[in-house]
Amino acid sequence: MSSSKPSNSCYHCGSFILPSDSFEAELGGINRTFCCAGCMAIAQTIHGEGLEVFYARRAQSSDKPAAYLASNEIPDSLAPYDDPSLLGRYTRPSGEEGNLETTLRLEKIRCAACVWLCEQHLRRIPGVKDVQINYVSQKLKAEFSPQQTSLARLLFEVERIGYEAWPFEPSLSIEKSKKERRQLLTRLGVALLGMMQVMMYAWPTYVGDSDITAEYDLLLGWTSWALTVPVMVYSAGPIFQAAWRSVASFRQTHMLGMDVPIALALALAFSAGTVNLATGSGQGYFDSITMFIAFILAARYVELLARQDAQGGAEALAKQLPATCERVPNYPASQQVEIVPVTNCNPGEVLRVPPGDVVPADGILIECESALDESLLTGESKPIDKKIGDRVYAGTHNILNPMLMRIDAVGQSTRIAGIASLLDQALQAKPLMVSLAEKWAGYFVGFLLIVAFLSSAIWSYLDPSRAWTVLVSVLVASCPCALSLAVPTAMAAAQGAVTKLGLLIVRGHVLEGLVKATDLVLDKTGTLTMGQPELKEVFIARSEFSRTDVISLAASMELGQKHPLALSLLRSAEAENCLLKTLPEAVSNQLGKGLSSGIYRLGSAAWVGAQQIAQEGQYGQVHLADDKGLIASFLFLDTPRAGLEKLLAAAKSRKIAVHLVSGDDPATVSWWANHVGIDQFKGACSPEDKYHYIEQLQKEGHFVWAIGDGINDAPLLARADVSIAVGAGAPLATAGADAILTASSLAPLAKSLLLADKTQMIIKENLIWALVYNLMAIPVAMMGWVNPWVAGIGMSLSSLAVTLNAWRLRKA
Amino acid sequence: MESLFLLIPISLLLIGLLAWIFFWSVKAGQFDDLEGPGEAILMDDDTPKSKNVGDH
Repeated sequence: MSSSKPSNSCYHCGSFILPSDSFEAELGGINRTFCCAGCMAIAQTIHGEGLEVFYARRAQSSDKPAAYLASNEIPDSLAPYDDPSLLGRYTRPSGEEGNLETTLRLEKIRCAACVWLCEQHLRRIPGVKDVQINYVSQKLKAEFSPQQTSLARLLFEVERIGYEAWPFEPSLSIEKSKKERRQLLTRLGVALLGMMQVMMYAWPTYVGDSDITAEYDLLLGWTSWALTVPVMVYSAGPIFQAAWRSVASFRQTHMLGMDVPIALALALAFSAGTVNLATGSGQGYFDSITMFIAFILAARYVELLARQDAQGGAEALAKQLPATCERVPNYPASQQVEIVPVTNCNPGEVLRVPPGDVVPADGILIECESALDESLLTGESKPIDKKIGDRVYAGTHNILNPMLMRIDAVGQSTRIAGIASLLDQALQAKPLMVSLAEKWAGYFVGFLLIVAFLSSAIWSYLDPSRAWTVLVSVLVASCPCALSLAVPTAMAAAQGAVTKLGLLIVRGHVLEGLVKATDLVLDKTGTLTMGQPELKEVFIARSEFSRTDVISLAASMELGQKHPLALSLLRSAEAENCLLKTLPEAVSNQLGKGLSSGIYRLGSAAWVGAQQIAQEGQYGQVHLADDKGLIASFLFLDTPRAGLEKLLAAAKSRKIAVHLVSGDDPATVSWWANHVGIDQFKGACSPEDKYHYIEQLQKEGHFVWAIGDGINDAPLLARADVSIAVGAGAPLATAGADAILTASSLAPLAKSLLLADKTQMIIKENLIWALVYNLMAIPVAMMGWVNPWVAGIGMSLSSLAVTLNAWRLRKA
Repeated sequence: MESLFLLIPISLLLIGLLAWIFFWSVKAGQFDDLEGPGEAILMDDDTPKSKNVGDH
């Protein structure tokens, strides 16, 4: 796979190799070329351990690693993880020989081969006792001996093969959710085993075999009973508990939960079956009971798995900020830095933030001007130039120069932590949606209870001996099996279908909410647009230069820069196959102006001496000049996210009002709104403004659907009736959202909208079918004409019909 | 038909055994990761070169 790549691309990361710095090494008898020492070191490590099958099996080429990986030394940025304050947080004792256990979260994993490589590589480190990686959650559990190796060593070894790992605080909630998952799975398993076996014993009743004599019937009946008891007690135990709690708190809430009718039906059917068995007359109903419990638990298990995939706000916040930072203890006397855990820093201390790093705390810039990318925090799409004395915020990206800052807030008092708490607040204030099925089921159960007791009362007047039989047969003939299956089956099928489309549903009501939505609130940067500039046009001023020449010259100057425009130029150079050159003189960076190298200058119009290109909605422009004057101008535009027209068209066809609410400057927001055809828009919004915007809409009676990606969208996503986070966005945003868009295009949302309609249709069909069946069965049962095995077959067929109807959704 | 008096208790015993196996496998984490082992068996090298691998 990799060997088929052109010879000028790196064996490990697949990127361009500059002729000047090409590295070569013989691996497995073949000469391989590399773009940097880091890539070569990784490939040598992998081959050295006999793991080269990774290169054949990986699905994508790897990322370019940092240069320090070429050495075997643990870098300073990782060393503080062995500091007792951090080590105690991230490890726990395990086993007898003083071993420690830790959980790491892996990053940059793309395929199964990546996971395999990490596992194999870590197992070969002396001192590592055991490594287990969960492919689904990408969490790594390692047990190691602290005498032979260290946590920092483990983190470094993961980096050395081209991935990233960060230690994961073992919180109580994770243990709790694991226990919850396993417990529900055992309950489900017991119910399924019971269902299978009881149905087997019920076979003679299904086929209506009259050959069977009374003693065998009794044997089969009591065996079924013996298998139903554990299912009732163990598997359905939580249903009874929840029902009891709901009844006990009825005075305060004035609402009965879904568990009440389920528990009532189960208890009545089971006692009726037991009475029938003891008196030797009538049906046992044990097959229906076990099947009913198994189906309910299966639906709940699927829901639990989806819910646990979502992260909590606290975990997301931890992921957003770095764990260590560079502190300058003797500022201004010395610029000597020490690397310390962020939790050990206090307001008033001075930190150094290198370019490419995330700012770890709020503070004031005191030395070295730089530019920060605040897009995730504010929605502002362009980097902000920061001067001495300007405020910098935790969670933003430093992209230009190493800067010095004085901390004025850390941890919970930072701006980002404030947004996280607004998020939690919003999640609590979120309007609860009473689902369609619950409403119907509530009415139905009320109606059913009245009918059952009424008919039993009438029969006790006419013929007291049959009153009990009629009460039970009405309740059982109308067994809410089909009714309770109507919604979960349709939901499970639809969720499976949208997951394949690229939309991961976290909270259950999303599909129902999409149908009800009257307003769609979109964020701009990162949602409507990709949030990264693309080279749109190149204006060449002097005819002796070709397009390839100017792009490769500009890209060569930008090599190594972290500015979005620089990255965009480098991407275009790669896309157009322009070879990068080695410049004769070093590139120097002049803040706010541009780059210069020898005679060449690349930067703003005023500095280079060029005419500003007047085009609306542009992201930015740079100009290239030498000592003879302007060579070329590059114009950049933010690109709209793929599938946007489809989403807007789908919204329009359903008369959903679309709003564009962004933290970016009003002029850019209005240009984009006009460009894509959105009538209502608002720029320069803080996270609080966005939150209030939605609150206002909701007060006017609108049902709001929101899509966003940044930290500043988190409260908005949490507050909206239905919200979807763009998956590549900030972890905090996904914590507040009801669903996560894993595809990069917005087109799946348009399809999901159609699917949501279809799901509602199917749910209604199912409910109507279950109701019609019950309306036919109940009068018959009320008259006392019910034949047990006919009722049994009718019930099974109606459940089957509902399930098969729901199955149609999977093909969407 | 008399065989039922023997076969049905045997089926109950089998169900008990199955339930026990199921309980054990959930507890041992067999259901925690349903994708990994399937992928791992494809990736694993049948002829390990490093001697450290033998420890596991």
